[in-house]
Order: sequence, then structure tokens, then C-alpha cells
Amino acid sequence: MSQVIVGFPTTLTYYLHYPMWKVFFSELGCKVETSPMTNKKILDEGVKETVTDACVPIKLYHGHAVALKDKVDYLFIPRMVNVDSDKNITFCPKFLGLPDMIKASIPNLPKIISPSLDRKSGHYYLYKACREIGRQLEKPASLIFRAYRRAVSIQKKFEKIMVQNKLNPVEGIDYLFNSGSCSERPDADLNIAVLGYPYQIYDPYISANLMSWLENHKVRTWTMEMVDYSQLQKYSGKLKKKLFWHFSNKVVWACYHYLDQPHIDGIIHVTAFSCGPDAMVDKLVELECKQRNFPFLSLMIDEQTGEGGVTTRLEAFTDMIRYRREQQG
Amino acid sequence: MRTYMGIDVGSVSTDVVLIDDDNNVIASAYIRTAGQPIKAVQEGLRLISREKPPEAKVYAVGSTGSARELAAAIVGADVVKNEITAHAVASSTLVPGVQTIIEIGGQDSKIIILRNGVVSDFAMNTVCAAGTGSFLDQQAARLGIPINEFGKIALKSKNSVRIAGRCSVFAESDMIHKQQMGHKMEDLLAGLCEALVRNYLNNVGKGKQILPPVAFQGGVAANEGMKKALEKALGMEVIIPKDYCLMGAIGAAMLARKQERENGQTNFRGFDVTDINYQVTSFECTKCPNLCEIICISIGENDICRWGGRCERWQISGEK
Amino acid sequence: MKISFPRMGNSYIGFKHLCEGLGFEVVVPPSLTQKTITYGARYSPEFACMPFKVLTGTYVEVLEKGADVIISSGGIGPCRAGFYGVLHEKILKDIGYDFKFIVVDPPMANLKDFYNNVLFLKPRNLKWGSFLKKVRTAWKMLTALDGLDMLVAQRRAYELKKGDTQKAFETAVSYIDSAETYKEVVEAETEGRKLIERVPCDETRKPLRVGIVGEIYVVIEPFMNMDIERRLGEMGVITHRSIYVTTYVRHTIWDRKAEDYIKDAARPYLKQMVGGHGINSVGETVLYGKDNYDGVVQLAPFTCIPEIVARSILPKVSRDYDIPVLTLHIDEQTGETGVQTRLEAFLDLLREKQKVLGECS
Repeated sequence: MSQVIVGFPTTLTYYLHYPMWKVFFSELGCKVETSPMTNKKILDEGVKETVTDACVPIKLYHGHAVALKDKVDYLFIPRMVNVDSDKNITFCPKFLGLPDMIKASIPNLPKIISPSLDRKSGHYYLYKACREIGRQLEKPASLIFRAYRRAVSIQKKFEKIMVQNKLNPVEGIDYLFNSGSCSERPDADLNIAVLGYPYQIYDPYISANLMSWLENHKVRTWTMEMVDYSQLQKYSGKLKKKLFWHFSNKVVWACYHYLDQPHIDGIIHVTAFSCGPDAMVDKLVELECKQRNFPFLSLMIDEQTGEGGVTTRLEAFTDMIRYRREQQG
Repeated sequence: MRTYMGIDVGSVSTDVVLIDDDNNVIASAYIRTAGQPIKAVQEGLRLISREKPPEAKVYAVGSTGSARELAAAIVGADVVKNEITAHAVASSTLVPGVQTIIEIGGQDSKIIILRNGVVSDFAMNTVCAAGTGSFLDQQAARLGIPINEFGKIALKSKNSVRIAGRCSVFAESDMIHKQQMGHKMEDLLAGLCEALVRNYLNNVGKGKQILPPVAFQGGVAANEGMKKALEKALGMEVIIPKDYCLMGAIGAAMLARKQERENGQTNFRGFDVTDINYQVTSFECTKCPNLCEIICISIGENDICRWGGRCERWQISGEK
Repeated sequence: MKISFPRMGNSYIGFKHLCEGLGFEVVVPPSLTQKTITYGARYSPEFACMPFKVLTGTYVEVLEKGADVIISSGGIGPCRAGFYGVLHEKILKDIGYDFKFIVVDPPMANLKDFYNNVLFLKPRNLKWGSFLKKVRTAWKMLTALDGLDMLVAQRRAYELKKGDTQKAFETAVSYIDSAETYKEVVEAETEGRKLIERVPCDETRKPLRVGIVGEIYVVIEPFMNMDIERRLGEMGVITHRSIYVTTYVRHTIWDRKAEDYIKDAARPYLKQMVGGHGINSVGETVLYGKDNYDGVVQLAPFTCIPEIVARSILPKVSRDYDIPVLTLHIDEQTGETGVQTRLEAFLDLLREKQKVLGECS
């Protein structure tokens, strides 16, 4: 019997949980097939399959699902419900309904694995999800348990190395599965916190190479994954009410965190065209930076974003910070 | 005479200026880009070389605008700067104490907030043509009004019509509706100006602290109706600098002058570039599913500049 | 102290009476106009949904009129509406308004907050008994208003002269507005109903039946949906809508069974709560399908997340139950002509379908 292939779209939860699922499925004896990094074809397919007013990340997810569907036995679409200790913090409704949306809009899908990750279902929610997957794949309980243990341990390691070595998720995944080390950072004279959802910031296609542009222009980037989650949570009381969405809270808390770090020179918020939660997050971050008179740039990204628009804004923003510094120093 | 050249290549127009050490505009040229930025730049240089006094010598060149890299490659620029910085540099020098710059051009618009002479915040238009000049161009064309008379007619209005709609497509259907209801032309035109100002402030100007002095520049500043609509919406006087539609190019020239003072040399290839035959070729790269459209500019066999790729495979740096 | 609150259909009448009855001065939220939308669009984030923008506009208008306390509803997510309060307060204070903002979350989300909010509203010298009595009268007023609303949606399709039912309805609403005590509200409702039922009608008609689903604010507030129920009614259609202010409160606070019924209907298509009224839009469409309604109109504010999820699933429901669904996006550009054209085309489609079915049977 040939090896079972499980498809993992290289977007959304990839940047949050890929190491965990990669190890879990491998331990169960499956092969994990990831979709290629986002390219024009994937985006076009996604745009075609999705309702027009959906946001870019959801369109991308559809595109990645299409890219995988004929190559795999199973498509893995976890339903992200709640992973915080606060049971009210969930995910954007589009994440919640994602498996249903995919099933309703893409024809000829392979079998779907879509466990719910819902901490409200109990302390061992992750194990429950793993057990559900294992059973669906008809694996023995002992094997599932061992795979689960290894998966959890690599996930912990993943989160730890990002904080310790100040790596972003892409670098973190590379560290774990390929290089085993961190590459040298180029020289930089500016430190900018780049906040936003990982599935946008680290996707070079959709973010118009934002991160490498900054690195190539003597800017050291700081992101929310580089801060320990418990550290971020210290800022959870800053707003009268926490936001309802996991990633959005992380962005807002990271904004407060980086505003308190004296070495940070500016904040860039990367937001998707027509992203619902971001309409709120962007305004919050903007008002906070405005109050503190802190350099802030809101960078909106959509499926038509050309590099030109992004680089013009980045150039102007970095110029602004450097001129300000000259004037003050 | 020492002069400095600034080139601003935008999607609608290409501006070239020559300034001296005291910020006087010695010569200027305005050319429609018409999708052919190279030709526009060459044409601009030709016009300048004809207009400038013979003793004026170019000591440095700066380029800005969306095709700044391309302009820099063919002319040999010393400074390549984004248009935000270029506009800010020009206005803060020419409009003393300016705290807000409102720039509305053909397909772009921006707001720049300065405090103590330094940019403290800025924004550019995000959604289609919301808050840009093309909105007025299209509606004027539809109403059969020449764009240069638009402003004068709009000024006559005592009772502007409210025209709703974020982008031109929606505004157009609303305008047709209002037109059919029999509103006067001047009221419609004033209404269009107000709609553009509203869209500009809602999109580009949102959340920005607009403090006087306010400089209004870009091609649309030629429209008197727009100045009035802006002043009405902001409740403050709006200053239109003398060279309102050349500010980007002037800023680029000023930046070039600064650079020249620091290192005392220039990459300028001379006015002869107007005679060079630049070939533009393009091809689709098939190395990955992105299928980027790569555009090359070359002189004879040598590619001097390529762009359009999402990766670095085809890049040659504009400087070399 | 001057109190104000958002406007949502005729419900403001009930809230106005309650606040006045408790001894507060009330700034009645003005009916929504282009001006409201202009203010809203100016100060709200570009991709905030339409209800957010309209609320921003309303708040600016009532603050300009001198209100210094605003009461609004909260929520527990994941729809953005639950977070409106926090952001509205920040935006309005950034503009420079000084006021107290009270966000009433459902009691099960935070009982203590809810209690404190109630304490704020209850004057100290007022006995709990009289306080509850006043709340009861206001509640009766709200249910009476909703009752009239449901009635006219049934009756419009039969009227002989277009617009008569609407006139009767407006008079009936004014009866209720002028009532003071519980007894008067009951009387006003009875009189109002009679008035509407007396409108000359042609009972032999066989009107189409259309269900209306979607996000609560655009479903309830006629200005937002271009008065869709009246529009359809006067084109000879009986409408049934899924949400009224009072049914919403009842379903979220004590009548969970009714809500579960809708969710069960949605389950084959959407297993997960997605906030707002996303799951309701799916479930109610299923139920309208089972009830043999002729069609469903989904009202979705532009960028409303739960409705986007619903919208991508509705085509499947529509196929399975053979019930046509029309989605109308509501935003600041929505023009009357556009809505009218779409509705007319949709009704033509429904009538054709009815005819074909009639011939078959």
C-alpha cells in the first residue's frame, strides 16, 4: 500500500502550527504535501472560486486548496475555534466557517480532515483533535498518542526558538526542518515593528516582498512571534474589552509591547483589503500611535497590489523616520 | 549658471524642471506620459534644452514619480526618490511653515502631514480612483465640459448638488440621475468638486490632523472649484503654490542639489540622451507559475534596465 | 444629563418612553439621512461595515444636539459589532467629544456589568417595583410595534390602493407613541391593528411569499434596506422577516430553544457559530425552503463577515431546496434604483417559476 498523502495549504495556520502538524502526520506514517508558495496561478484560482467580497487571505486559501486537491488523498483544513485561555477569544468568522466554505465552493475535493481546535472542549482539546484525525486515518491509539506527544513537543520548540533567536515563523520552520541554525542578519540602522497577520506578512507574493525590501534597506524587522505570548498577554487589559479574534489581539498587544521598547523606531501595520477585523485593529493601532506621536504606517494589501505602491510607501516611511532622527539628533 | 534638474514621471504626466541655487524655476516642461514614459522623458529633456539659457549647466539630476527608476536609468540620475519625500521637500521650502500638503493628481492623490518641517505622517489613495483627478476628468468628459473651464463654471454655483458614490462608476450613475432631474450645470460641477473633496478626505485624509498652512498642489489644483470646495470642507484657507503642478519635480531637483553639494559630481548623461534610441522589449518569464511580464530597456545590445519581475532573476540595478 | 441611543426602526419610541419615564432628558436620535452617512463615512474606518458607519454618524448627530450619555448594545463576538462600543468611544473622543458611553452587554456575558448598567438607569428614589413596571410597559410598547410591523408585512400585498396600508401603519405607530401606561399601550395596539385591517383589500389575490434574512441592523432599519418590506409589499409580495428587536432579545436572553431550532436547520451546511447572524441566515433560508416560500432575500452590509460566510454557503441551500436567493449588499453607495431593479428582476423570476410549477401540477 502506498503512503497516504495529506495536503497542507501553505497559508493561514501554516505559520502558526505547521511544525506540529508536519510531525504529527509524519509520525502517523503519512506524507505531508504542502502547496507551493503563493504565486499568480494560486491567487487567480482562489479569486475564481471565492465570493467576490471575501478577503484576500480567504481567496488565497481557496487557491491553495485547489493547488493541492488533485495531488493528495486528504486535504487538511483545521477549524480554528479557540486556542486561548480566554474562551471568548476565537477566530475571524471566515476561519470558523472555512471548511464549510471550501466544501460549498470547490468541486471534486479529496477527503477533508477538519478537526476543531477548540480549547473550550476541555483541557486535552489538542489530543482530542489528534485522536479524531488518527481515527479517521484508522491508526492505532498508541501510535496516535506517541505522534501527539512528539507534535506538541516540536510545537513548543518552534515557539521557543522564535522568541529566543528573534526569528519569524518562516525562519523558524527553516531552522527546525532544514538549517538548524540562524542566518546572519544584514546591517541595519532602523528597527521597525511589522505587525499584521502572519499569513500576509510572510507571504512574499501577497505582501509584495515587504520583508525583504526592508531587510535590503537597512531595516531590522520585529514581529509579534518574537515576543513570548505571556509577555503579550500582559497588555490584554489595555482595552476595555479584548478583541474577539486571536490574531487581532496579538497584533494589538504587540503594538503596545513594541511602543514600550525604546529601540523601536516605527510601526507598520499590514492589513488586507476588506479584512473585517482589521478595520477595527488598524484604527486602534493608528489612534494609539497618534496619541504617542509615534511613526506609523498602515499598509493595505490586496490582490492587485503592485510592488510599486508598496515600495513607494515604505521608502517614504523610512525617509520620514530617518529625517526625523536627523532633525532631533 | 549652476542648475539642477528634477524629473517627475507619473502615470498621467511627466514634468521636468531646472532650478537654480535660489529655487528659481529656470525652465520647465510638461508632457503627457501617455503610457510611454521613455519618450516622455526624452521629449521633456528636449524641451528643456531648448528653453534654458545657454549658460545654464546641469550639475545634478533627481527623479521621482512612479517611473522614477526608469527615468533615472535613461537620464543618469544622482538621486531617485519617492514622490512623498519629493513633494514634502519642495513644499516645505516654497510654502514657509507648511503643516499639511494636499496633492491631487490624475490617478494618485496623497496627503502629507509635516511638523517642524519634517514629514510626520502621510497617506496615499487606496481604493481605485477614489479622490483623484481622473474622477473629474471622466465626469467633465461625460458632461461635455472642457476640463480647463470646469473650475470657472463650478465657481458660479450658489447651490451645489450632492453627488453620492465612492468611485467614479457609482458617482456617474448618481450624477446622470441628478442631471435628469434638471439641476443646473454649475451646481452639478460644484457638486462633483465637493464629492471629490469628500472622497479624498474620507479615503486619503481619514484620521489625519489637518492644520494650516495647507498647501494644495497637483494638477487638480488648477481647478478653482476644487480650491473653493476644499476650503469649504476644511474651514480654512488653502494655499496654491505658484508651481503647483511641478512640485514633485522641483523636490527631486532640490534633493539632487543637496546630493551634489555633498559629493560634487553627477551621473547625468547629458542632453544627448534625447537622441539615443532606447528599445523596449517585453517577454513573459516562464520560470515559475507567476508568469511575470518582464520589461527591458536597452541601447543596442545592452540591457540597461529591466523590471516587472517578482523575484530578482532579471534585475539589473539602475545605477551600475 | 441628556441620554441618547442608536436608532433601529421604530424601536426608538419604546426606548424614548422608558428613559423619559425614568426621569431622564432624552435626545431622540434623528431619522437616518445622507448626513448621518456622511458623518459616518468620514470618521469610521473605510472597511468598517455599514452599521458601524451609520452608528458613528448617529452618535455625532446626537452629540451635536447636546447628548452627554449614549447607551448602546454590546455583544460577545466573533462578529465585530460586539467591539463597536470600544472603538466608537475611542473615535468620538479622538474627534473631541466628551460624553459617557454605556455599552450594555448581554447579562450572561457579564452579569456584574449588566447589573451596574441597570443601577445607572434606575433613579435611586424609584422603587424596584415601579422600575420593573416601567420596563414592562416599554417592553410591551416594543412588542406592540413589532406586532404592527409583522401585520403590515402580511397586509400590504392585498391593498387596493397602493400606500394605504403604510399610511394606516404610520397612524398606528403614532397611537403607540402617544400611549403612557401599560393599559394605554394595549389599547393603542388594538386600535392600530383595527386601522390596518380595515384598509380596503382584494382578498382573492395569491401573493408571492418572500423571506428576508441577513444582518440584524440592515434587516430592521428601513433606511438601511431602502424600505425593502414596503417596496416588496407594494409590489404585491408578502414578506416575512426573521428578526425583530423583541424576538432578538427574547432569543438571545431567554428563549434559546427558538434559536436552537434555527441552528439545527443550518447544521448540515454550517456547523460552527460564525457570529452575527451568519448561521441564522443559513438556517432561516433552510426553514423558508421547507415552508415552501417562493424566495429569500439576504441583506448583507458590505464587508459584513458573518454574511460573507453565509453567502458562500447559500447557493448550495438554494439548490437543495429549490428556493431562489437574492443577496443585496448594503453600503453607502447603494442607490434606490439599483435595489428596485434587482427586486423587480427577482420577482419576475419568482413569478415565472410559480407559473411553471402551476402548469406542472
